Amino acid sequence: MEKFSFKDVLVTFAGLFITSFIAWVLISATGNNPSEVAMYLYEGGFKGTRNIANSLYQATPLILTAVATLISFRVGMFNIGINGSMYVGALYAGWAGYKFTTLGHFTHVTVCILIGMAVGAAWMLLPALLRVYAGVSEIISTIILNFVAVLFVSYMANGPFRADPIAPSTARILETAELKQIFPNSQFNTGFFIAVFVAILAHFILNKTTFGYELRSGGDGLVGMYPSRFSSYLGIPSDRSAIIGMLISGALGGLAGAIEVLGAVRYFFQELEFNQGFDGILIGILGKLEPIGSIIASLFYGAIKNGGFYVDYKTDVSREIIIVLISVLIFFVSAQKMVKGLEKYPFIKKMDNFFSRKKM
Amino acid sequence: MEWIEIFDISIFRSLLRSTAPIAIVGMAAALCSAAGVLNIGLEGKMLNAAFAGVYASYTFESVWAGFTAGIIAGLLTAALFGLLSFTLGADEVLAGLAINIFSLAGTTYLMRTIFGQAGFFSDPRIVGFEPISISFLEGTFLQPFLSDFTYSIYLMFFIAISLHIMYYRTRLGTAIRATGENPEAAEDAGINTVRIKWLVTVFSGFLAGISGLFLSLENLTMFTEGMSAGKGYIGLVASSFGNNTPFGTFGASLFFGLGDAIGIRLQGVYELDSRLILMIPYALTVVVLILIGIRQRLRIRPVPISES
Repeated sequence: MEKFSFKDVLVTFAGLFITSFIAWVLISATGNNPSEVAMYLYEGGFKGTRNIANSLYQATPLILTAVATLISFRVGMFNIGINGSMYVGALYAGWAGYKFTTLGHFTHVTVCILIGMAVGAAWMLLPALLRVYAGVSEIISTIILNFVAVLFVSYMANGPFRADPIAPSTARILETAELKQIFPNSQFNTGFFIAVFVAILAHFILNKTTFGYELRSGGDGLVGMYPSRFSSYLGIPSDRSAIIGMLISGALGGLAGAIEVLGAVRYFFQELEFNQGFDGILIGILGKLEPIGSIIASLFYGAIKNGGFYVDYKTDVSREIIIVLISVLIFFVSAQKMVKGLEKYPFIKKMDNFFSRKKM
Repeated sequence: MEWIEIFDISIFRSLLRSTAPIAIVGMAAALCSAAGVLNIGLEGKMLNAAFAGVYASYTFESVWAGFTAGIIAGLLTAALFGLLSFTLGADEVLAGLAINIFSLAGTTYLMRTIFGQAGFFSDPRIVGFEPISISFLEGTFLQPFLSDFTYSIYLMFFIAISLHIMYYRTRLGTAIRATGENPEAAEDAGINTVRIKWLVTVFSGFLAGISGLFLSLENLTMFTEGMSAGKGYIGLVASSFGNNTPFGTFGASLFFGLGDAIGIRLQGVYELDSRLILMIPYALTVVVLILIGIRQRLRIRPVPISES
């Protein structure tokens, strides 16, 4: 994909307007008051310290899953299985959280996070190897592994890792393994800073280092197609970068799950539901597969997601409306020919040139 | 109980019932893949059709209203996919994914908002398809094998055979295969590849619609959140395992159906964790993916379609 340009921003905002209109129609058609919903959406997302903190908390895993998505997409692999990595990462981070009793605070948190990341990466090993060495589409294998992951963690929370005789859940993690919650009445925790740090690090590695260039050369500009031979002509092993990219992507998914367990819920239970892996794909596309763009898109998404919970609580409108609207927005953003079609207008071309010159 | 008791006539019937939705959506996937369209969005088409079918059947208390609504929903979703990927130039995979996420959230939203129910929606007003009993088979030994199934089972065989004929005996079938194998050459031969892709996409919407209706209006008359449960993806794997041919896809779907049917029976016989039973279809899919990988490594491939 190309970098952000004026016309992308234009299309995104035009898409937002059209999406809001669709939302208006949809909410009215199901017998609710759209302006009331909009007000609650705003209040739940942005009003007061607690709501803002919660919005940032919602954005935390989204930043990580969006970066996980964009890294895999940019090495030319379609990793749809980040949700699966998140589940297994969360399960094993929770396990490490109560298993190691003698560690200090910093070491314990680090160990838990590293275990979550390692398990998340390991979850992606099979699809990566199958894709690179046997040509099996990673799209389907990762999707199927999502289903396996949900049932696997649910089995583990019910069987081997079960601690509570009444509810199927693991033991609570020890205090030394907790990521601290900063605001009262909010699950916002220090994991947010880890997520932002990782995203910025990803930005520098992808755009400023040789390693990042090697990773990208396999897939940039080719999202949706199989990795080109271009990088092989440069003497860069695209197979290796595809596997590494896939493992990094899985590790970040595991990290997102680990932060959820260590920072917010504090134990793993059967009903714990993750959807952030799928949301991350949408956000990664909205952010044009750039880490910084993903942070911005995640903050936006986190806020309206939190607003959506408030809407769900206050009105009859169910929270799924948010995902519906974001996917409609994606329809607009992903329509490349429509975006390219804008170039024929001289004004937009001028603005495009103006902004791209400024960047240099 | 002995393990041998698992295999009796009812497992044959349960096998066909488990196979039908996967086989029908698998043939839709095969048709698309043969024309070079990677149609991830089948899952969403199934889900939309399943919901529309239940909604119309509930509102009009007529199964045919449900059928019509389900097919229309499948076709509309397919049209959206076609519009995004062929007309507006979106990436096929991204368009398919966005459609799946949209459909999962959309049906859940509508169910919760219209019916005020979370999880699943079931009502005596929803009319489902009745099994067809074939009268002249009554009393013969063939009756348990062939009679008293719902429509999809018969449709599955009909679709497989007619698709096979269409593939290898008609000009259209040749055009579809040519589009998938070598789009440039097909264009040179005067085939409008975009039109062919649109055609298979719309037809796949029709098939996915039937498959989705099978889930919500045949054996069960209810709608559950995310009830397609990956069947669209499993169909894609089945078509890939069957080399994108109708009969091959049907055979691969039988394999998945068998795993499913044995799982259902095992649940009754042994005290197994239900989560492990539920995992069987997905675990089988992973196994099949590995088999596909091994086959591609060894390059043991059937005769290419162009030579047959």
